[in-house]
Amino acid sequence: MTKYVIQRFLGLIPTLFVIITLSFFIIRIAPGGPFSYERALPKQVLENIEKRYHLDESLLVQYGRYVLDILRGDLGPSFRYKDYDVNHYIKISLPNSLVLGLLSLSLAVILGISTGLISARRQNSTIDYLSMSVAVIGISVPLFVVGPVLMYFFAMKLNLLPTSGWIMSGDRWTTVLMPMATLTLPYFAYIARLSRASTLEVLQSDYVRTARAKGLSEPVIMFKHVLKGALLPVVSFLGPAFANIVTGSIVVETIFRIPGLGRYFVQSALNRDYTLIMGTVIVYSAILLIMNFIVDIIYGFMDPRISYR
Amino acid sequence: MDAWRRLKKNRMAIFGMALVIFYSLLSLLAAILPIHSFKHQVLDHQYLPPSLTKTAGELLYERQENTSMDAAKNEGRNELNEKEKEELSVLKQRIENETMVFDGKTVKVHQKRYFLGTDALGRDLLARIIYGGQVSISIGLVGTLTAVLIGLIIGAMAGYLGRSFDYIAMRIVDIMYGLPYMLLVIIFMAIFGRNVINLFLCLALVSWLTLARVVRGQIISLKNSEFVQAARVVGASTGRIVFRHLVPNTLGVVVVFTTLQIPSFILMESFLSYLGLGVQAPLASWGSLVRDGVDGMKSYPWLLFFPGLTMTVFLFSMNFLGDGLRDALDPQSKNRL
Repeated sequence: MTKYVIQRFLGLIPTLFVIITLSFFIIRIAPGGPFSYERALPKQVLENIEKRYHLDESLLVQYGRYVLDILRGDLGPSFRYKDYDVNHYIKISLPNSLVLGLLSLSLAVILGISTGLISARRQNSTIDYLSMSVAVIGISVPLFVVGPVLMYFFAMKLNLLPTSGWIMSGDRWTTVLMPMATLTLPYFAYIARLSRASTLEVLQSDYVRTARAKGLSEPVIMFKHVLKGALLPVVSFLGPAFANIVTGSIVVETIFRIPGLGRYFVQSALNRDYTLIMGTVIVYSAILLIMNFIVDIIYGFMDPRISYR
Repeated sequence: MDAWRRLKKNRMAIFGMALVIFYSLLSLLAAILPIHSFKHQVLDHQYLPPSLTKTAGELLYERQENTSMDAAKNEGRNELNEKEKEELSVLKQRIENETMVFDGKTVKVHQKRYFLGTDALGRDLLARIIYGGQVSISIGLVGTLTAVLIGLIIGAMAGYLGRSFDYIAMRIVDIMYGLPYMLLVIIFMAIFGRNVINLFLCLALVSWLTLARVVRGQIISLKNSEFVQAARVVGASTGRIVFRHLVPNTLGVVVVFTTLQIPSFILMESFLSYLGLGVQAPLASWGSLVRDGVDGMKSYPWLLFFPGLTMTVFLFSMNFLGDGLRDALDPQSKNRL
């Protein structure tokens, strides 16, 4: 078991390395650079700047230098914003993104699983139809429609919630509600459908019938036997869900002006701010890989049919 | 045929299918429908609200009247002064007589009707939504077909050939699954130019993975069955066995995958367009229309709502159709998601 966990963890390193290499070269091969402004800089100035950032060296040397820097935990200076290094940027913006993402995901998991269980228990009842319709809507409405529409009604028309601001920058706690609701909806919907389907399957399984035959009480059957089996597909969905939450949070952070990691992602890619994009991608990927790793381990604990070798 | 009968019983799926057909017809026939052009700008007509009955001229006149009245009230008057009345009658004259030339035809421009209103440049929102749908749906369709083709070929080869080809292909799929590919797509689009071809390429390249896995699984479970052995005995070539005998047996999965992939493709495309990385003006897609709408939603909410609603209804119908097809083609997995 311990051996498997360690092996699996070490396996993350090559994947992260592939991601770093791939994005490094995608970014560098493209024409243009961080210093190609609309009005061209004088040749001498440009050469000096490029020398300062080692852009005059060959691509492979730069790559080697970059990898060594990362190993020392240094993501380099931003190319576009002077006196601003990427480590600092990540340090101030990552907590905001993490709070938003983790809050939304836990809310989606808790609400989704309970909705799924209830719907499955009362298959074809009004509650079932109602919650499944909400779920299909949740899957179909894009994030970037939900966000602005919520903002329009709750902030602009009803004046109930603030349009912008962020709880961690010292604003009211209500600022967290709309971004969280927006980011939660699609994953809530997906998890509700998933857990409903798996609960229905488990309810028909032999071991639940055995439990019923033994005369166990309904709560014991539901929470001890059904819930565990029904959770498995949900747990394996969590991996991809993290990936989607990351991309989703880029949009949500833009809509609600949250000072998170994703807010300047697109802009920094358009600016060719090499180190800032790379830094953001590395942090995002590391989070994703670690989350996937945790999900894998949890999955193994929950499903006795999977053995670690 | 069994499948069709089962599908017909599923009312939501049929409803979804009807809507999908309706949308497809609208986008196919966009060029001959009696709608305005999606790129003609009438700057006088910017931000006209949606109206089923009133012409652009009437709306313009109303707007002018209201602004003048507000101005008058601010000054404490209950009636318009001479200058404002003068302005209004000039506007009335213009509305009745002014013409513009579009595509060689002279049009009484203020007689136009905009059922869904107009945008910041005075373009008809209805036309933009329909043409935007054309772009969005065709990207969804072509992209998905490309992804299906790649996934089918690689999945089938990996499943049938096995050995090192299978190993290498599946390792590549595994690694690509682990990549945060939407981030890479965003970078790629931002850096290599934002055009429709790049968009196709990017999205198709990351969308074939699931299908390749599923097809491979199906082929592996079928490749030792009797009809394959029979084909091999009569001397059929590998290609023939794979593509004539095995692949047709996976079509059920492929159809379901395709219908469910189209909405997610459209979502990805509109997501990129929303970030400003997708199709560029004057072309529009649903995503870029929503983006344009968000900026002025406080004063001109229709610019956000109509494109958003159109898109949601389409995705909704596609999802219902996909679910229905899966239940119909694969009754065993009835209770699966």
